[in-house]
Amino acid sequence: MQNALSWLLGGRKPAASHILLAPAALWLLFFLVIPALGLVTLSFATNGPYGTIVWTLGLHNYRRAFDPKYLPVLIRTLAFAGSTAALCLLLGYPLAYFLTFRAGRWRNALLVALMLPFWSSCLVAFYSWMIVLGKEGLINTTLLRLGFLNSPVGFLYTPFAILLGLVYFYLPFTVLPLYASLEKIPRSIIEAAYDLGADRWTAFFKVTLPLSLPGVVAGCLLTFIPCLGDFLTAELLGGPRYYLLGNLISNQFMMAQDWPFGAALTSILLSGLIAGLWLYQRWEEQA
Amino acid sequence: MKRGRFLASYCAALFAFLYLPLAVMFVFSFNDARRNVVWRGFTFKWYKALVQDVELMRAMWTSLELAAAAAAIAAFLGMLASYAMVRHQPFGGRSAYSALLNVPLMMPEVALGVGILSFLIRAGYELDFAALACAHALICLPYTVAAIRARLISLQESSLEEAAMDLGATEFQAFMKVTLPLAMPAIISGALLSFTVSFEDFVISFFIAGIGIVTMPIKIYSMMKFGVTPEINALSVCLVAATLLLLALNAALSLRLEDGGRR
Repeated sequence: MQNALSWLLGGRKPAASHILLAPAALWLLFFLVIPALGLVTLSFATNGPYGTIVWTLGLHNYRRAFDPKYLPVLIRTLAFAGSTAALCLLLGYPLAYFLTFRAGRWRNALLVALMLPFWSSCLVAFYSWMIVLGKEGLINTTLLRLGFLNSPVGFLYTPFAILLGLVYFYLPFTVLPLYASLEKIPRSIIEAAYDLGADRWTAFFKVTLPLSLPGVVAGCLLTFIPCLGDFLTAELLGGPRYYLLGNLISNQFMMAQDWPFGAALTSILLSGLIAGLWLYQRWEEQA
Repeated sequence: MKRGRFLASYCAALFAFLYLPLAVMFVFSFNDARRNVVWRGFTFKWYKALVQDVELMRAMWTSLELAAAAAAIAAFLGMLASYAMVRHQPFGGRSAYSALLNVPLMMPEVALGVGILSFLIRAGYELDFAALACAHALICLPYTVAAIRARLISLQESSLEEAAMDLGATEFQAFMKVTLPLAMPAIISGALLSFTVSFEDFVISFFIAGIGIVTMPIKIYSMMKFGVTPEINALSVCLVAATLLLLALNAALSLRLEDGGRR
């Protein structure tokens, strides 16, 4: 028995390595690979009566995803993901810059503080935003009392609320890669720019910004991709009028019982993700 | 240094934005008014209501059990996998395993949820606690692998296990007496992160919890659908406090790890 375990742990034969990795591999197989392949297969099937699945194969589910009824959802999802990534970049870059060059001994504490809201459940944070933004919420009540408003404004269940929720939740995803790449820039290069007569802004635009480009791309991608599949933000802050791809998928499985169509939408989401990662890898190889 | 102060105040404003929701729920969890965001006096009654809510307490136990099961599975799988990837001689497929183990992080939770749901149902499996725990273990796995792998790599450099074997220990003895105890803080740290991930997961549970299984986030979600009540504020404060505690434990463990590396 002990000899067998020693053989496993010693790992001089590839078989031993594969056996130790087998449990994790089985988990990935049963809860990731097979479900994903199953969804792709299902996306070519046909929805029968009462949510049954008829194996008449075809591309009709994909055609349906791009018809005028559902196309706006896809476009809206891309638009929200894109604007969230852009906003997070604009808002987050100065913060990442501050953390790298100005924060001094506060740096680690601030990095932890940046991640904390992300670790607390986003359900809870969105609930709080509902209190802030609602018709009887904090902003409306305050503005009414101060006399800036005559009647409450519906901030909640608008595209603005969705964008706010997305930016709130994904900001750390943008800032951390930005920080990581700014941190890697040798200070001597920036000082050299000053020595050669560049002012602050020239040094920033000609040296710091170009050198932080890997972080910019990684940060945007790490925000854009999860946004494509986001589900809770539009569910809680947006409401049915502004449903995104994630909500549409969820509806097909939980309410409409049209699994093949839902599977096709999920496959579209996954191909978007794979395309994004592929482009990123190609960009990285070139750089 | 006027410009420097401008940047600093901008960052302070951004942090205020990030912490505004947490502050709001903290303040209003003590507010003595049911439907209003106007301060009406200090009260503990929402916290009392939480403890007396039987369904809520049951949901909390379900979530605790679920998180413990998922963390235990993820820690076990993660330990075996990391050990093979770090300590074994390079073998064919190592980089493929390593890449695949990170996929659950990139995969949209909605896609994972509906994928596992349709796979289990079509395989004729009744959705139950075990299925949910296994699915949670999958999303926790990248966290345990990352924590344990980093620790094993730094142990590799100190070659203590080799020293044990030079002194006559078998590989198994060296593993049990040297590697496992030294890796334990990382295993616990990975398990704590996993516990947090599982405890707070809403999306996966939303899709594959059977009808009878109500986790804490699912319970909060259904309370939210009924409308705004201060009890959710009190509950949120408790959850955030619990998360902070777990993360603090985790930080304490990693500090100990750094000390251990220096010794």
